[in-house]
Amino acid sequence: MEKALIGFAATLCVLGGCITGIMEGKVAITAVEQIGKNPDAASKIQSMAIIGAAISETCAIYCLLTAFLIIFILGA
Amino acid sequence: MVIQTTVYSIIIITVFMALLLLYINRKLKAFDPLSKPTGIVLLVMIFAEMIDKMVKDKTDERFAKYLTPYIMTVISYIFLANIAGLFSLDTPTSNYSVTLVLAAITCILIEVCSLKARGGKAYLKTWFEPFAPFVVLNVLSKFSTLLSLSLRLFGNILSGGILMSVIYQMLAAVSNKIPLIGKLNIFGIILAPVLHFYFDLFSGAMQSYIFTILSLSFIGKELPQKE
Repeated sequence: MEKALIGFAATLCVLGGCITGIMEGKVAITAVEQIGKNPDAASKIQSMAIIGAAISETCAIYCLLTAFLIIFILGA
Repeated sequence: MVIQTTVYSIIIITVFMALLLLYINRKLKAFDPLSKPTGIVLLVMIFAEMIDKMVKDKTDERFAKYLTPYIMTVISYIFLANIAGLFSLDTPTSNYSVTLVLAAITCILIEVCSLKARGGKAYLKTWFEPFAPFVVLNVLSKFSTLLSLSLRLFGNILSGGILMSVIYQMLAAVSNKIPLIGKLNIFGIILAPVLHFYFDLFSGAMQSYIFTILSLSFIGKELPQKE
């Protein structure tokens, strides 16, 4: 019973990554659209998109780390 | 005292990098500037030009001379460390102390570059911007840079490693159901190379690029605006 609860808690933690996935996709969509409109600025848009995606990815990584901590500390 | 196994792979990677750099140095010294560059000399030239352009783009021209060698070292070290899993070494970047040290170097570099660009008095003023009580928030924001930089690299590489080991166990359990040849882990042989390509090579190269470009843009953000 306790193990199932710990697994459920870890699953809930990882759910935070869903929104990050959707919004990172949005970053890519916007970058592609803008490069299509303005091909000269492609290199600038590319680096900005990578930086933005990387910073917003931090949220998902914190979710993942919390899930790992729950599994390895509470579950051990 | 317990010595963690990543220490050995750090030593191996450092020795390998030192030998590689010595070899490249000898090649570069023997290279005639008037002839066409070929082989490893050409690769190193393209790499150095790329990093130099990246540094000049993100930060000031004045710092490019000092920052480019450091950024080149860091990007190649992180890349080699990330793909160490392919050579059955323990990945050093899945140890939090390694990424924490790398991020701490970046944080110190941000402060030093800001101090050099502004001078002592103007630098001290940045800690109390926009007005005096904000010093608490400013100190906290320095620590958040350290945490987010180190945890991003650590989390990405660690999650890749854990996912690979989970997938190996699952494939072994599935192929055990097949009689006779089940112990060979056939599904692992078919599926694992593709996943290694993504989790080790692609993710490793991507993360080393992201770490350096984020370091550069954090350094560039702290510098005063050019007129």
